[in-house]
Amino acid sequence: MAFLARIGAPVRGFLEFLGDQAHLVWRTLRSGLALRSGQLAVVGGQTKLQIRFTGLDAGALVVGTALLLGAVTLIQAFSQLSGLGAENYIGTLMVLIILRELGPLLTAVLVIGRSATAIAAELGTMQLNGEVDALAAHGVDPYRYLLLPRWAGVLVAVFALVVCFDAAALGGGFLVARLKYGITWGFFMGSVRQALSNLDFTATLLKVFFFSGAITFHACHFGLRVQRSQTEVPQAVTRTVVSALVAVFVIDGLLAACFYF
Amino acid sequence: MLQVRGLAYDLPDGRPLVEGMDLDLPRGRNLLLAGAVGTGRGHLLKVLAGTERPRAGEVKIAGIPVWPGEGALGLAGRVRMGFAFPAGGLLSNLSLVDNVALPLRFLGLPRAEVARRVGEALARLGLESVADLRPHAVSAAARKHANLARVLALDPELILLDGPLEGLDATDRDLALGLISGWALDSGRTLLLAMEGRDLPPGPEFQTLDLHAPHSPSEPS
Repeated sequence: MAFLARIGAPVRGFLEFLGDQAHLVWRTLRSGLALRSGQLAVVGGQTKLQIRFTGLDAGALVVGTALLLGAVTLIQAFSQLSGLGAENYIGTLMVLIILRELGPLLTAVLVIGRSATAIAAELGTMQLNGEVDALAAHGVDPYRYLLLPRWAGVLVAVFALVVCFDAAALGGGFLVARLKYGITWGFFMGSVRQALSNLDFTATLLKVFFFSGAITFHACHFGLRVQRSQTEVPQAVTRTVVSALVAVFVIDGLLAACFYF
Repeated sequence: MLQVRGLAYDLPDGRPLVEGMDLDLPRGRNLLLAGAVGTGRGHLLKVLAGTERPRAGEVKIAGIPVWPGEGALGLAGRVRMGFAFPAGGLLSNLSLVDNVALPLRFLGLPRAEVARRVGEALARLGLESVADLRPHAVSAAARKHANLARVLALDPELILLDGPLEGLDATDRDLALGLISGWALDSGRTLLLAMEGRDLPPGPEFQTLDLHAPHSPSEPS
């Protein structure tokens, strides 16, 4: 019996967590659908702030990382495949490694590190200061004022960052291909275009949608669970990072299995 | 306006604060939750406002179920409520003027109307000079007054005030007392006040719930 209880407790905890997440998503969607025109300016302002923090402020970091990653990927590929006509596989390599997998995944990891942590810490501190209670008591729906703009902002920002990541990674890859093999821009992009399919665009869009949802709602869940003490804030941040990373990798695996298996 | 049936609430340390509490407060009447700091009066006020969940019992505001239910969120757009917190309660990333304006903007009021109401409320509480500062940059008294200004600007039908006079000097205290007396005498508003009984503003009648005694509200005093 004790053994069963030991197995059952984490399972129950996980199911409760999933239930909480579903509740947050449902309440946020519902509050979004009930948004009145007079509230658009307030919610829009908050969304713009979130886009700036998650997207614009992370732009240089994402572009720099992607540029290096694109270059390193082709350096490694050429070092292993030299003499085997590696230049003919440039497009396939870039699409398989960067555009399909690492672009959305590494962008999500960077957003978790920069923004999910900030959202969890901010909401945790707001809970401790009674700010969330104050919003609710004055008729300001916290789902509409806090969660909806964060979700919308992270969604737009992740989409923009993935596009930037992919473009910068292709740029980094092209630089190496140009310097090593003297490949032209036209040949490089033609090779990439040939390897790309509509399926890749669909998979990337779905990843952006699910990753941004997972990042936002994990951060909001752990941030809003802070109740009594300042020491709960760093704990909420740590849990957000671990939990959101696991969620993003699981979603990535599931989508890869659905689209390419 | 406020109906409570069989309310039970335990303090965070596990001690029961109320058990089986019943209360009826008609519209336009006033209730005093009398008790010193630490008696749990703030928690009880939050339970009645729908921001803290009780262990058991029912709370209704204007006939709308608060508990069991979704708390204060169920009142949004149906009952206009204002709550002045004893400390905090203001959004730390907004200036005082934006804190006061936020609930009005969320109501969808025209920009000019918001500006007028916010300006009047801040002027009434003497906050014009610090209106553009954030809560951390102003004194504790200014933060308390900003809480009252937010309530004043919102023009609510149900007002809850938690320790509104604590930590104020004589001038600030008189300013707050004048405002509270006005609300308490207004037959269109229902006022719930959590503070020590001796600080009660003179004049208006209050139904009293003494948090040191067994919990059944007394007749108006």
